[in-house]
Amino acid sequence: MSRTKRPMSRAQVSRRRLRMCVFFVVLLFTVFGARLFQIQGVDASAYAAMAVEAGTASTTVPAPRGAILDRNGEDLASSVDALTLTADPSMTADNAPQIARLLREHLGKSTDYFDLIDELRTPDSRFVYLAKDVPAWTAQKALTAVSEAGYPGVFSEKQTVRSYPGGSLAANLLGYTNGAGVGVSGVEGQYEKVLTGTDGAKTFEVSQSGERIPMGDSTVTEMVPGQDVVTTIDRDLQYYADKRLAEAVKASSSDWGLAMTMDVKTCQIVQMSQAPTFDPDARTGMNDANTVSRAVQNVYEPGSVLKTITMAALADQGKIAADTPIVVPSKMVIDGFPIGDYWEHGTLHLTAAGVIAKSSNLGTIVAANQMSDATMYNYFTKFGFGQKSGVGLPGESAGLLKPGAEWTKANHATIAFGQGISVTGMQMMRAVGAIANGGSMCQPSVVSDVVDTDGNKKAVDNGETTQVVSKEASRVVTRMMEAVTAPDGTAPAAAIEGYRVAGKTGTAWRVDPDTGRYIRGQNTVSFMGFAPADNPRFLTYIVLDKPYSNAGGGSTAGPVFHDIMSMALERFGVAPTGAKSPKVKQTW
Amino acid sequence: MSASAPSRSDRTSAAFAALQHRAGGSLREGVMDVRDVGLRLVNPVRSRARRAPFVVVVLLVLSVGLVGLIVGSTVLQSQSFQQAKLDKEIATLHTQQQSLSREVDRLHSPGSIADSAGALGMVRNTNPAFLRLSDGKVLGKPKPAEAGNR
Repeated sequence: MSRTKRPMSRAQVSRRRLRMCVFFVVLLFTVFGARLFQIQGVDASAYAAMAVEAGTASTTVPAPRGAILDRNGEDLASSVDALTLTADPSMTADNAPQIARLLREHLGKSTDYFDLIDELRTPDSRFVYLAKDVPAWTAQKALTAVSEAGYPGVFSEKQTVRSYPGGSLAANLLGYTNGAGVGVSGVEGQYEKVLTGTDGAKTFEVSQSGERIPMGDSTVTEMVPGQDVVTTIDRDLQYYADKRLAEAVKASSSDWGLAMTMDVKTCQIVQMSQAPTFDPDARTGMNDANTVSRAVQNVYEPGSVLKTITMAALADQGKIAADTPIVVPSKMVIDGFPIGDYWEHGTLHLTAAGVIAKSSNLGTIVAANQMSDATMYNYFTKFGFGQKSGVGLPGESAGLLKPGAEWTKANHATIAFGQGISVTGMQMMRAVGAIANGGSMCQPSVVSDVVDTDGNKKAVDNGETTQVVSKEASRVVTRMMEAVTAPDGTAPAAAIEGYRVAGKTGTAWRVDPDTGRYIRGQNTVSFMGFAPADNPRFLTYIVLDKPYSNAGGGSTAGPVFHDIMSMALERFGVAPTGAKSPKVKQTW
Repeated sequence: MSASAPSRSDRTSAAFAALQHRAGGSLREGVMDVRDVGLRLVNPVRSRARRAPFVVVVLLVLSVGLVGLIVGSTVLQSQSFQQAKLDKEIATLHTQQQSLSREVDRLHSPGSIADSAGALGMVRNTNPAFLRLSDGKVLGKPKPAEAGNR
């Protein structure tokens, strides 16, 4: 039995079509509804942001970097507006020579005429840099000249650049900023967070073509400028010391030189010079040898200046006084290592002051043999050797002091007169500063305050002070050191008329960094001293590395010390006390 | 014309009669005839207010508003351009101020002053000495500055 399919009536067909239509319409609206829900419900914030973005434009308001000031508030580093000049070569190619001539005329000789033409004619490009970080006033003049001459296609981008009004003045202390404006060394690097402000922003409505709508909505987020950093540097003294040291380095054919002056009462570094150096303002001489901060990053063997520390350790134990008699042999052989003085002599009868005044290695060894390795190591550790000085400059080295338990007899002997130990200049300043400051050792500092945008000063914590040797010990060593600048000492050139000056020369063998062995005929000469010796105020340290072979601490570094110390005393109004230097017997 | 159009009193009487008929004559008993108290229905008063002044006032308000809007907008636009011009002037003056400050800083730097002093033939004395004003005593040992010591 077969079922025959009845043909549908017209009404049935219509109903069926109608149902289909209704189904598709419902389906369509369901899809629309789902999409609407997605846009309005799920992705609402994203689409709203896109809509706002399409109708608005934002510009960053750069926050100026804080200034670095000297102790008197003079600018050492500050930020100025700058422009980076750019061009669209498709618009400038035809007038390239004329534009290049105008730009060079206004931007100066640092821009190359032919390079500019090449840039302005760069094929298949719509964007090239012409000159970066040009001070705004200079760049603006150049832009105006190009615009007035009727040459289109040259544009500018606003930036901020770092200006160092003193050029190379205290460059190794201040450091510099990189192309992105971030401090990478010195105070710039160490105080990066303090100096950097928070950028602001301007958002405003724009037309479809990107033009700002004059009466449109706009929002401004105020920028917060960086804070100023006040250093302990005296700009005028720094300038003089920079110049004087550069002359000395040149005259002595030294590889490099270092000059530092510290206020022994506060441990504030008032001047820190290095030669050769670099110019962060003109961006010249910026190689590793010049940008390294030798005062804190360069280690070397200090030589005889360290004898003052050995004597201070002995004096603190009551084992030595300025007139303590010492029998100095003509030579010694320790652990198979022959040791002598820089001059030939037979057996000498020197006082402890005589050992310092004549800078006798052998006399120092005899004196140092009165204390054990452990005791001597402890004193050297108390004086801060083998540890960072904490001066607050980046990349500081801790130097190298072998643990006392590992010392050989030769180590004990050579460390006593400053060989076989590596130090930084800043460590030496801190240690000898303690002798000048009555045995009290403080942490050297280069920054005293941070000043916020409202002008409120906040002092920087510069560590604690510790008593490393007694006042009497420091007085004994000071008396010994005064003998050095006496007419019969090793550095009469360091004496300053009318003042009592205590000092010590240093002539150390240089170590070949590749082999680790001493290099015959190559020395690091130095002089460290303080004045007035009867009421110390300033400590100055001069180091000249690898000068001509005859150079000595007293003859080469002494005069530099004299000039810089004189300037410091004069600048800070430190008058001589009028007291006479005590006569100390050097022989017995 | 007057014969076919009933008078106002006729219309009132007719209306009253119709009202009485719908009420089934109950008004006669117990209810006071409205004519007894002198009340009568009146036609609503036809408003004779003219529309023209109202239209004029509305148009005037609209015109003043429109003109005010245009003037206000123009003034604001003009001020906006003025602000842009002043902003540009501020930027130029700021740049100029920075330029001059930098120039002052350079001239004020120790190097520049030392060069100027040297050009005037001045030399530095490396032997400091002080004059105490209270008693006129010289502290230190003054020495003449050496020529060429800059």
